[in-house]
Parts: sequence; C-alpha cells; structure tokens
Amino acid sequence: MRVLERPLVVSGELAWLGGDRLQRRVDHPQQETATIADGEVTQQRTGKSPRHFSLSRAPQLQVLLDSFVALLSGDAGRLQQAFEVRLSGDPASTWTLTLLPRDAKVAKTVASIAIDGVGKQSLCMRMQEADGDLAIDLLGTLAAKMPVQPTREALQALCQGMH
Amino acid sequence: MRAGARATLLIVWLLALAGLGWLVAQRLKVSTDLRSFMPAPTTPDQRLLMEQVGDGPGSRLLLLAISQRPDTRLADAQLAALSQGLASALHNDKRYSQVLNGSFDLGALDPSLLPYRYLLSPTLDTQPLDEAYLADQLQQRLDDLSSPAASLLKGLLPSDPTLEVLKLAERWTPAKSPEVREGVWFSPQHEALLLVQTTAAGFDPDAQQLAIDGIRHAFEALPDSTAAKLEFSGPGYFSVVVGAQTRQQADWIGRISTVGFIALLLLAYRSLSSLLLSALPIASAALAGIVALTLAFPEVHGITLAFGFTLLGVAQEYPIRVLSHRRAGEDAVQSVRALWPLLLTAIASACIAYLAFYASGVNGLKQLAVFTIVGLLVAGFSTRYLLSRLLPVRVRDVAQMRWLARARDFVDRLPRPRWIPVLVALAIALMLAFAPGPFWQNNLAALTPLPQDMLQRDARLREALGAPDVRYLLVLQAPTEQGVLALSEKLQPQVDALVAKHAVDALELPSRYLPTVALQRQRQQKLPDRATLRHVLSEALQGLPFRPDLFQPFLDDVETARQLPPLTPEQYARTPLGQRLAAMLVQRDGHWLGLGTVSGVHDVAALQALGESTNGAVRLLDLKAASESLVAVYRTRILQALLAATILLVLTITLALRSLRRAWHVLAPMTLATFLVLAVERMAGIEISLFHLVALILAGGLGLHYALFFERDTGDPAEQRRTLHATLVCVLSALLVFGMLAWATIPVLRAIGLTVSLGVAFHFCLSILMAPHASED
Repeated sequence: MRVLERPLVVSGELAWLGGDRLQRRVDHPQQETATIADGEVTQQRTGKSPRHFSLSRAPQLQVLLDSFVALLSGDAGRLQQAFEVRLSGDPASTWTLTLLPRDAKVAKTVASIAIDGVGKQSLCMRMQEADGDLAIDLLGTLAAKMPVQPTREALQALCQGMH
Repeated sequence: MRAGARATLLIVWLLALAGLGWLVAQRLKVSTDLRSFMPAPTTPDQRLLMEQVGDGPGSRLLLLAISQRPDTRLADAQLAALSQGLASALHNDKRYSQVLNGSFDLGALDPSLLPYRYLLSPTLDTQPLDEAYLADQLQQRLDDLSSPAASLLKGLLPSDPTLEVLKLAERWTPAKSPEVREGVWFSPQHEALLLVQTTAAGFDPDAQQLAIDGIRHAFEALPDSTAAKLEFSGPGYFSVVVGAQTRQQADWIGRISTVGFIALLLLAYRSLSSLLLSALPIASAALAGIVALTLAFPEVHGITLAFGFTLLGVAQEYPIRVLSHRRAGEDAVQSVRALWPLLLTAIASACIAYLAFYASGVNGLKQLAVFTIVGLLVAGFSTRYLLSRLLPVRVRDVAQMRWLARARDFVDRLPRPRWIPVLVALAIALMLAFAPGPFWQNNLAALTPLPQDMLQRDARLREALGAPDVRYLLVLQAPTEQGVLALSEKLQPQVDALVAKHAVDALELPSRYLPTVALQRQRQQKLPDRATLRHVLSEALQGLPFRPDLFQPFLDDVETARQLPPLTPEQYARTPLGQRLAAMLVQRDGHWLGLGTVSGVHDVAALQALGESTNGAVRLLDLKAASESLVAVYRTRILQALLAATILLVLTITLALRSLRRAWHVLAPMTLATFLVLAVERMAGIEISLFHLVALILAGGLGLHYALFFERDTGDPAEQRRTLHATLVCVLSALLVFGMLAWATIPVLRAIGLTVSLGVAFHFCLSILMAPHASED
C-alpha cells in the first residue's frame, strides 16, 4: 500500500437513487455521506461544511457509478460502453465479472474492477487502483464477515466464495 | 504655360506626392489607445482614472462563454473539455496574464514556490503546527482516503498533510464562483464560462483585437469546436465591437457620399480633368499633414486622423472656388490671382480657428491642430501655385449659365431687413433657455452605445462569474509596496465585515495574493524546526495506520520554508498569479497604490465609509464619476481655446478687410449660425458632447468662407454669379457628405453629421441674408 501500513476498514451503505445518482454513506469509523448527482460529488461530514468536486476528478466514483447503475438496472449496453467486460467461472455457481475501464483517463487511476458472485448474488467488488492499492467492498451478507485485521489474501478468499 | 511644362509640373507634383506617401508608409505609427485623446488629468482620481481606464484589472477582463450551437447537442462533458482545452492553450501565451475556468488548479502555484505555501497560507496565524493540530489533520486525511476524494488527495498527502495548497487554491479562486460541473464553471444557461485577463489595456482596441483573435484561433484549433460557439464580453471586447461598428458605418456612408460628391462636381464643372486635378491639393494636404504629424509626434492617434480628415473638408473649398471663378479664355493663374487675397484670409482664419486645438493641451487635439493647419496651408498654397498652372485653359464660364443668373437675381431680390440678426439672436436665446434636459453630455459611452443584447449578456455573465465591477475600485495608498500590502492586511477584517453585511458581493485586496514580508516572517517563525516537527509528527501518528516514512517530504518542505527569504512582489511576478498581483499594485509619483477590485456593489456609502478615517490612504474610486469630471475639464479646455480663437479671428478678419463694418458682415452671420445650430440641437433634446463641438468648429470654418465670399464686393455681376456658384457647390457637397452621416445609427457619427449639415445650411442662409445688399454699395 502506498500510504498506509494496514488496510482501512469502513462500513456503510451504498444506495442507487435512480438515474445517474448514487449515494455512498459511511457509518463507521466516521459519519460521511457522498452523493453523486449531475456529474458532481458532494461530500458531507458531520460538523464540516460540505465539499463539492467534479465527478471527473474522482475516477473511482465514476467507475462505481457506471458499474453499479449498469448492474442494478441490468443495462448491458451501458456496461459494455464503459468497460471491457470479461466473465470467468460458472454463471450458475461461483463467477467473477472483470471490468476494464475504456476511458484512458479513468484507467490511469482505476486499473480494473472485479465483481465476484455466487449464483444470482454479488458478494464482492474489488477495485484495483493503478498505483497498486486495492479497495475491496464486501457486499450484502458478506459485509458482516469483515475480519478485524483484514489482509488482501483473506479478503480475496472470502470473495471467491471460500467461506 | 506650355503643355510640356505643364506635364513636367504634374509629374513632379505626383512624384512629390508619391514621396510623401512613401514617407507616411515608413514612419506612420497609429496608436489606438483612447487615453492619448483625453486631457491631462488634474485631480488624483482623474490621474488614477487615466492609468486605470483600460489598464485596471477589471477593464482587462474578458468574459467568455462556450455554448452549443442551436442545431447541435453537446453534453456538459464536451463543453467542459473545450473549456479545459482553451484554458490550457492560453495558459502560456504572453497576451494573457490570467486564465480561469473554474478547474481547481494546483499549477497556479509555481512548483519552485511550493514550499512558500506555509508563508502564504493564513493557517499559521491561528494554528501552530503542534501535535493536536497534526493529529486532527491526519485523522481527517485518513477519512479522506476512504472517501471518494481519495484520488484527489493521495498525491498531495506525503508533502502536504494539512492541505495548505488546497487552502491557497480556495483562497485564490474568485470569491463568488459559478456552479462547477464537469470540473469547470457553468452558467445556468448551459454555457461553460471562462475569465481571461489580457496583458493589453482594455481600451486599446487594436491590442484587444489581437488578444481576442488569439482566443478565437486557440478555440478553433480544438477538436469538436465547430459544434460549439464562443462568445465574448467585457470592456476590451466592447471597444473592439464599437470601433468596428463605427468604422463599418462610416465606410459605407463614406462610399455613397464620395460617389455623390464626384457626380456633383462633374455636373458642376463638366470636366473630368478639372475634377481629377482638383483632388491633388486635398491629397497633398492629407499626406503633408500626416508627415508633419510623424515628424512632430512619435505616434499618431487614430482619432486624430479620423477627425483630421473631417476637418480637412474645408480645404475642398479652395479648388472649388478656383474652378467656379474661372472666366472663359482666362488663364487659371489670373483667376486665382484675383481670388487669392480673399482665399488667403479664409485659409488664415481657418488655421487660427484650428490653432485653438493646439492650445487645449490635450495630446490628441494638438495632433489634430498640427494636421489640419499643415493640411490647410498645403491645400491653399498648392491650389494657388500648382493647381492653377495645371488647369486646362479652355473652360466654360459658369457665369454664362442661365439658371445661375436667375438664382443670383433671386438672391439679390431677397429682402435683407436689418432686424434679422436681432430676431435670430432672440430666437437662439429663447430656444437655449427653454431647451429640455441637461445641456452637456458628459458620458462618452453614450455616444457609442452597445447593442442592448450585448449589454444584457455582459450583465448576465458578470453576475454568473462574480467578475469585478468596472466602475468602482478601492484604492489603497502608501509610500512603499509593502506599506500597501500592510494596509491591505489591516483592512481585510473590515472588508470581510462588509461582505458579510452584503454591502458588496466581493472585494479582492492585493494581500489576498501575497502577504507582507513582515507577516511571512511571523509565519516563518512559527514553523517548528526539523527535530521538533519530527517528534510532534511521530506523536501525532500514534495509532494511525500511515506508513512511518510517508511524510518525509512534509518535513523537508517545512524545513525549506523556514530558510526561505520572504516572497516579494518582484519574485512573485514571475508566477502565473504574480501577473494578477502586478495588476493590483502600481507605482506612481514616488508612492504605491493598491487596487482592490469590487464586485456587486449594493451599498456605495458603506464602501466610501471604509476610507473615512484613513486620511485618504484608502478611498473608493468611482471611475464613472471621474471620467465624467474629466470630460467636463476637457470641454472647458476646448471652450477656452475657442474663445481665444474667436478673439484672434475677429482681429484677423478686421485687419484683413481693414474695416469693422465689413468684419461684422462676415463674423455676425457666422457667429449667429453657430449658436443657432446649438440652439436647434438643444431644442431637439440633444445633449451637447465633445463631438458636437468639433463639428461646430468645422461648420464654423465653412460658414466663414461663405460669409467672406458673399461679403466680397467686386461690383461685377458675373463675378457675383461665380461666387454664388462656388458657394452652392460647396454647400451642396458638404450637405451631401455630412447629411449622409446624419442618417447613421451610431450617435457619434450622427452628432457630427447633423451638426455640420445644420451648420452649413444656417451659415449659408444667414450669410446671404446678412450680406451687404448689392444695391447698397
């Protein structure tokens, strides 16, 4: 990891507000809400004035938005437009959907995104950043299984359904 | 003169003209800076105005809007890409001192100046770099890392954990920013907005044209720019538009009236060769006038040339008089000889009238005087000594024309009651007394108004961008540059209070960009040494997951900042933002001025109150009021010069005619006609501007000629008919040229056209009605 000694663990909720709007709420360790709407990100922390910046400055969010909206709305066209899509594994049991951003500017920050699932359920979202850092989202029921001292390997094992 | 000698003379003359033309092409440097056409300022505010008109930070701002063309659909992202492309294309161009499009730009701080962030940012004033502060900041950075802003900040983190660079970037973005979409400013009307500050002065239309062309080219070179349209606003753009509009209208009117003028002369003299030859004195006058200007002045003002050519219109009379006074079979030289004493009086008196301009003390008007006086003398003398030798011998005597004889009879039979002057004078007095509205027009901008939609767009963009007002400036004065910055720092809390009270939307002071050396030293002293900072940092990092060696660049930068010599405006001037500061700090007469730009003034009195207890060190400058007072001074100068010219004129005419009574017959109609024009225009609700005054002077010059020639007593009815013919041709040609101008839609052209046309008509009628009756003598 580039700047940290040990992984950073946060928990909260991701919500699709319809259209191109997404909300990312963090409850722990610090309250924070980030809302994407109309190409702008608004970041709100308790006791602080909100911070605004353009979506194009936060490629991770751009990727999150594109993949989430496409997956949740079942819009394969949109997914294909934003990413090069690869599917590995067995759609009926464990599978991994790998998304490579097509936009060169986005790819400079986010190298790839991998979604792991079992059957009809998505378990994990792994975002590989271009500088080597990795962000792993444990989704749904898996979120409760976040270890106290997570390691990259342990999380990857979790995601690939080896629980 | 034999044909051979005549041909030689013509060739020599043409060669001389070509030589003058070559000289002009070599030496003529035309300046378009309006300031050289303004009078020398007298009050401190006027002097500042002269420097700031066009040169102040506000007037050098161009407001740009990129929008989609009506027939296309462009997403915000595409417009934003165009905005970014344009901004980066203009960034390293010398013609622009600042380009802002809302994208948050770390590049604004030169990399070599990066360690200066601790001296420039106000953080240390209230907050030492101690353990508690660092721990809090590091915790916040940790939160940032898990937030969507992570990629924004990850690169900055090792050297700048307290984000001073971002604080500076925020401090330096305009106080009231438009909405940011796709990383750049957008207006509510789906336009990407940019602010460009030009290096060139705002009211230098040629330099502004170059700057605007540069932006257009940069824009057109961008991919996809064809689907979008780029619009401009701001004082610099307006000066270009007004100049182009005026020139365009003057050009087409000029073309039509030139054709009419040529047709009129052909009809009057039925000789193409006479017509062509009579153009030579005017051409010589114009060229000689310009050469004289290039010899006497380093730069010639564009307005001098425009006004000069207008005033030179008087000189067209000289060849016309000669042509009309030709007798059948008589050599042109002989005709001129008979005419010459009177022509010389006319030339001398016109020169004296124009000499008044020289006494005005305004550079542009001095140039005008040199140009017209040299031009008139050259036109007069070349008509007398050159043209007369070239004109064909065989001509038609206009005195033989039957309609002219009838016209002369009509004129001679007109009643000339002695009470006419009294009646006219009374009418003038009444009209002037009861005329509506203010007498003088002090607002120069009213003469070159901008299209309403352009003004609306400017107001809209200015509002959206929070761009500074061009009317008000807050002026800070101190003996030294640092003194101005110190004053600016001291004033900042009061200014903040005014903004909070909504007396003004924003007020940007110079210290916003650069603190005083003293304040930088204070901040420097608050920076801990390396050992202390390392210790404090390691304490603050306790329990946080950052890598231990991550913040080495931070330690290095703080250590560097401790050793740095404080930043001065000179060093700062080399950075992109330094230009911005340089525009706000000016040196004058051994002291320094800081110029605070003001946007959205709601309470002028509150702003004025800022300076009340400072003994003039801080004051609000109202550029509009200062410019109006300047125009009033200007007018006073011209009026004084005119008064002097009038006295000289009376003396000259009286001496030349050697009779007070004859001088009265010449000067009375001229004076009455001049005031009659003034009275009629005032009655029509027209406010009198400088341009009206200049036009009145031209009309006065023409009227003087009419009166001089009508007054001339030759005792020869044929000669009287020739005088009438010459005067009619002169009046008709002047009415044709200036009557056309009177139809222009641009007020400044209309002012000149209407005034001269009215003047010519009144001068003609009054000089006929007040001329001594043929039977009287």
